[in-house]
Amino acid sequence: MIAFDFDYYRPATLDDAVDAFLQAESKGGDALYYAGGSEIISMSRVGSIEPSAVIDIKNIPECSDLIIDKKHLNIGSVCTLYQISESNLFPLMKLSCGRIADHTNQCRITLGGNLCGSIIYRETSLPLLLSDAHITLYGKDGKRKVPFDSVFNGRMQLSSSEMIVKIHIPIWALSAPYFHIKKTANEKIDYPLISIAAIIKGDYIRIAFSGVCSFPFRSKKIEKVLNDRSNSIKNRARRAISLLPDEVHSDGESSGEYRLFVLENTLLEILKRWENGRI
Amino acid sequence: MRKGDVDNAFKRCTSIVEQRFFLPPSDHLAMEVRTARAQILSDGNVLITTSSQAPYSVRKQLAEAFTIPAGKIQVKVPFVGGGFGGKAPVTLEILAYLASRSVGGKAVRLTIPREQDMASMPCRLGLEALIKIGADENGLIQAADLTYWLDCGAYTDISPYMSKAIAMDCTGPYHIENLTCDAMCVYSNHTYSTSFRGFSHEGYTFCIERALDMLAKKCSIDPLEFRIRNAIREGSTTPSQVGYSPSLIGDLKKCLTQIKELAKWDGGNANAIKKNTVKAKGIACFWKTENPPTDAISGAMITFNPDGSVNLNTGVVEMGSNGQTHLAQMLAEKLKVDASQVHVVTSVDTRTAPEHWKTVASLTEHMAGHAVVRAADDLLSQLRSNGAQAFGCAENEIEVANSRVFNRNKPEYYIEFKDIVQGYKSNTGESIGEPVLGRGGFMLKGLSMLDRQTGKGQTGPEWTLGAQVVEIEADISTFTYRILNATTVIDVGKVINPESMTASIMGGMSMGLSLASRECSTHNKNGIPNHPNLRTYKLLHIGQEPKYHVGFVETPEEQAPYGVRGFSEHGIIGMPAALGNALSNAFGKQLTKLPLTPETIWRTEQGGINS
Repeated sequence: MIAFDFDYYRPATLDDAVDAFLQAESKGGDALYYAGGSEIISMSRVGSIEPSAVIDIKNIPECSDLIIDKKHLNIGSVCTLYQISESNLFPLMKLSCGRIADHTNQCRITLGGNLCGSIIYRETSLPLLLSDAHITLYGKDGKRKVPFDSVFNGRMQLSSSEMIVKIHIPIWALSAPYFHIKKTANEKIDYPLISIAAIIKGDYIRIAFSGVCSFPFRSKKIEKVLNDRSNSIKNRARRAISLLPDEVHSDGESSGEYRLFVLENTLLEILKRWENGRI
Repeated sequence: MRKGDVDNAFKRCTSIVEQRFFLPPSDHLAMEVRTARAQILSDGNVLITTSSQAPYSVRKQLAEAFTIPAGKIQVKVPFVGGGFGGKAPVTLEILAYLASRSVGGKAVRLTIPREQDMASMPCRLGLEALIKIGADENGLIQAADLTYWLDCGAYTDISPYMSKAIAMDCTGPYHIENLTCDAMCVYSNHTYSTSFRGFSHEGYTFCIERALDMLAKKCSIDPLEFRIRNAIREGSTTPSQVGYSPSLIGDLKKCLTQIKELAKWDGGNANAIKKNTVKAKGIACFWKTENPPTDAISGAMITFNPDGSVNLNTGVVEMGSNGQTHLAQMLAEKLKVDASQVHVVTSVDTRTAPEHWKTVASLTEHMAGHAVVRAADDLLSQLRSNGAQAFGCAENEIEVANSRVFNRNKPEYYIEFKDIVQGYKSNTGESIGEPVLGRGGFMLKGLSMLDRQTGKGQTGPEWTLGAQVVEIEADISTFTYRILNATTVIDVGKVINPESMTASIMGGMSMGLSLASRECSTHNKNGIPNHPNLRTYKLLHIGQEPKYHVGFVETPEEQAPYGVRGFSEHGIIGMPAALGNALSNAFGKQLTKLPLTPETIWRTEQGGINS
């Protein structure tokens, strides 16, 4: 059970949501925008967090888009992983969203929650990092639309009172050749040892990783190595794992060394498939 | 345990294996967490409602700890949402009582969240072992020198009984005449441990059966063949020097012969399927005797309803093991009525149900079964008395069957139960006989404490043994694997309910595979549990289970009601060992540590013997 009292707001507009946030914070506590709430419940049960207020943004129309217009696929932040996956609008996103949790939680975890939560994997970020996506945010200073990777460096960099409204994925990405693989310790549904998403644009592989370090990332350095056709696949994979932006992640799922072992094998697999035209 | 002459026996051995093993603690994870409710009435009576396998222990411990007369304590246990041994200790009941007392006796319910249930309530014990076994040039085991260390955590609870249980059965069901075994409990700063399905047998069996596979390999003998050759038999003695008989222990050779076919045993070698992929099988045998108090008791009370059906009241808790159904079947069999005529009182109330030691140790069918059978005999005797008076004949001419009482010589004249179980009224209005009330009590007899020097003695009324095979498919480049098939052949004495007994065995197999392949309770260096939650603690999920196959052998246990041996726990016992053997066969590496995750297999590949 959650052993502390907290306020619940349910605004119908973006402005109402920001007002609620500012009001809650002015009382001297921490407010959290949320949609699914699974992480808030898990963390609150064990006392890791103690928000004074939760602001339920599911009723705000702009936040629940799931639609393609002339230039973009627009996904609202309160769309659930299940909705995104089932929509089949972006195959790589379908795979990235599709095996994050068991079905009960897939119907509850949202894009916004997965991106903004404290759990380190944020697997929904991978296709966004690879597809030149943009993101619309809303806070006390109003709306802004910026490149996704300018406000995400492993975690969301939002200013206080800012929430994610929706993301915009350019149309070209929806039909680009792609690949996704997730390796877990043992279970089919589990946190990743490694989760890798890749898109081919103009015969150049773009690749992003979750689980490898303690934050998801896309690395241009690693991409350069993997795209260097003058080197053997084996050497490329070996070199790539030495270029991680941070030390390899080690936790209850697996040690760092084992993770590197799995990563190298998986990179080999990806490069082989690409070579054989199976991406 | 000290038996024979181990030193000289090892000298005769041409093949010897000496190996350390390690199993970390893990958790029961019953679907229902622990919970208890306490209330103190104005007359001082204490009313406890709890999810417990041992309501009578709750009563006893509260009485002793708080010096309350036991008669003023009433403990009720409704259906329990899974126990697996974890709800045998008395825990929250004490705290709930104190809480109630502190508010003047108002009802207090204490429920803990899953995270606390995992972190602070007792768990399954960890185990380390040093196994040394040797065989002669014929592949016959000559000697065993076994040391087991039980990580019992911060409190003793019943861990000494578990070290005794390990010592009693330490070798597995084999003919081994020279033995030295020491089983020791060790305090640690971990969550304390208690009984878990298998009562430590799943732990030591992993160690001994892995060592046996290593020994069989050294002797160049098929692992199944090796076990047949060394199976316990006429002329053998158990580690505690109890003489073998088929009735007491069962027939391992038969189980092995049957499983050879059922599991399509093929020698246990790795068979390449495609590039980097192999299939392999692993085998393990198991046995288990019980370690109850030598004076443990059970009882049964039976009353009739006006329609001639019966109510059966025992102190057996129902937690999914189906014990109550089997008792109802035994009663129905005795009365020669359909089981639908038996209404079981499904929740236990210590005020009205006769005491059953604890619902543990797979002893329900034996102990409560005996009590039920005696209560049934008691009923039959009274029915015959009523019948003899009603028919004006001798009691031994009366037959009871199909809810009727009749003179065997004139079966066309019968009286329905409903007209005779509450006494009988003749046509002339005369009252005949008495209302029929059945009672049966049972106390274990003939058991002993173990000799201090040699461990000689008998702690349980019987053994149950069997064989298990696990088949896996492994990717030898990534060290990942899937479990394809899991098979058990168990000598249950008598299959009184094939479906429920099969389901029990399958449930045990599932728990054994889960704990062997994934489960692990770890602590950081300050002794704080790392993963007391279901978000990160690993266990087997639906969709990842193998195909289960269960076969039975029936060597009746002559001292048990209907010849049935204890069996509820046993599906779990050999599973970790069989999986360990299968994976060791597949990867060509000796795996000696649980859990058997891809990472631990990879590490074995990397670094030689596990630390």
